[in-house]
Amino acid sequence: MKVAPNPEPLLTPPAMASAKLRIERVVKTFQNATQTVEALQPMSLDVQEGEYVVLFGPSGCGKSTLLNLVAGFEEPTDGTIFLDGKEVKGPGNDRLMMFQEHALFPWLNVIDNVMYGLKWERAYRFRFRARRKRAMELLEMVHLTEFARSSIHELSGGMKQRVALARALAPDPQVLLIDEPFPALDALVRAKLYAQLQDILVRTRKTILSVTHDPHEAACLADRVVVFTARPGRLKTQIQIDLPRPRDINDPQVADYARGIAAELEDTNEEEFGTKP
Amino acid sequence: MKKNSERNHKYYVLGFYLLLLGSWQLFSSLNLIQDYLFPAPVDVARRLWQLGSEGFLWPSIEATLARMAVGFSISAGTGLIIGLLMGMSRLINGCLRSLFLGLQTLPTAGWVPISVLLFGLSDHGIYFVIIMSSVAAVAIATSDGILNISPIYLRAARTLGTPAYAMPSHIILPAALPGIITGIKLGWTLGWHGAVSAELIKSSVGLGYLLYMGRELNDVSQVIAIMLITILFGLLLDRFLFGLIERSVRIRWGLESNAA
Ligand SMILES: Nc1ncnc2c1ncn2[C@@H]1O[C@H](COP(=O)(O)OP(=O)(O)OP(=O)(O)O)[C@@H](O)[C@H]1O
Ligand SMILES: [Mg+2]
Repeated sequence: MKVAPNPEPLLTPPAMASAKLRIERVVKTFQNATQTVEALQPMSLDVQEGEYVVLFGPSGCGKSTLLNLVAGFEEPTDGTIFLDGKEVKGPGNDRLMMFQEHALFPWLNVIDNVMYGLKWERAYRFRFRARRKRAMELLEMVHLTEFARSSIHELSGGMKQRVALARALAPDPQVLLIDEPFPALDALVRAKLYAQLQDILVRTRKTILSVTHDPHEAACLADRVVVFTARPGRLKTQIQIDLPRPRDINDPQVADYARGIAAELEDTNEEEFGTKP
Repeated sequence: MKKNSERNHKYYVLGFYLLLLGSWQLFSSLNLIQDYLFPAPVDVARRLWQLGSEGFLWPSIEATLARMAVGFSISAGTGLIIGLLMGMSRLINGCLRSLFLGLQTLPTAGWVPISVLLFGLSDHGIYFVIIMSSVAAVAIATSDGILNISPIYLRAARTLGTPAYAMPSHIILPAALPGIITGIKLGWTLGWHGAVSAELIKSSVGLGYLLYMGRELNDVSQVIAIMLITILFGLLLDRFLFGLIERSVRIRWGLESNAA
């Protein structure tokens, strides 16, 4: 299924270097015994350093697939993904993924979970104290220091997600990939979490690619919202969110953007189900 | 409400056992069963007391437990390693799983004759029977535990930069722990069967030996007393030691809730 190699380089090297993350005409098809599923059609996307990009689109349009490709869990069927101009091959903690389920390790307590990723970092390799110090700082950032010694099963859903966030931030990844991080939390907890997340983002200036189903979440967090078409996923539109941070999820301006984003999704659904008059 | 009915349930079970014991005693007292064929509970209790005070009981329990400690440690360690290999290589799993499942159909006592032929009457033969009775169960449960690891843990480990050489010790074994403990619990029970079976034939101390002596001396009370002791210790370790560990791990891993 490989397309014939292009004789001309697509982009000049300086342009390549400008984007932190470059997704270049990436295609992904899944092949099983009975059928081929086209999850992503040629998809190109640049993410700048320090930018927060939210992927938004109908269920099954390939958002998680794209994150998995960037994380290196899967290989693109065609096309290439570059991080800092270097091709992405396999998982690595320069592009840390936060999962839909928290994926914390139940055999470790809270602080050991946060420290876990540091163990494999050269700077922290044999330095337990340094690891613990860094982990405590991160737990402080997500307001969970009193729970450092708790077991994972003793935490609430929102607390688990905050620990997962601390664990993902610990090795100081350049890119954070977040797949529907805060599902099924009540509105109050969510609003608080968004505030916290933005606070952390402003401080750490991470490049973030995240997926959400909630237009309010997208409007509240993103610099740019990328709307997908229904499967097979393609880029439909992009919406730039020009609001100062920190944003409040209940701000009317955020709500305006949210409405605009939701409207895009309705369009795609109508195309898919053919209900447009 | 639920608690209440659970407590009632416990009382019913207790009542059942008291009824069982009472009717057994009643049948014997009314001479409905001949006491040289089948002793009354009080005879069994008296014999047990005698065995204890004459200094036969404790050394025997100790000997059997000591053999289990040696044999089962080897078996659990080996089973764990084999299970780990099975869990990580489809080829090894394919070959060994069928072999182990086949071997598991052999009753534990079936290993005794060959152990006598291979090891004579030494304790090594008893270790052999314990190991052969339980190693397959531990290996299969370990490999099942590994194959059932939620892929999310593996992905999380990889995205956090875990190098390949550290995966077994840092992720795979701990993530498979609930399955492994279930296997060890089952292995313990099978090994316990094996130990007592082997002692029946080839030892001069141990619970199996006391069973054997009871038969030689036509002492039904002793046989029944030792059977009860064997059940008691098997159960004690299975239910209380391994059972409690299993439960606490399952709660911690989020597989069971701790709301009792
Ligand atoms: N491993 C796989 N094997 C086969 N098909 C797959 C696989 N993973 C995803 N797909 C298919 O690819 C398509 C896109 O899946 P993906 O999980 O990326 O969707 P999504 O946009 O994340 O959806 P949702 O919003 O519901 O999470 C779906 O149709 C799905 O069935
Ligand atoms: Mg998804």
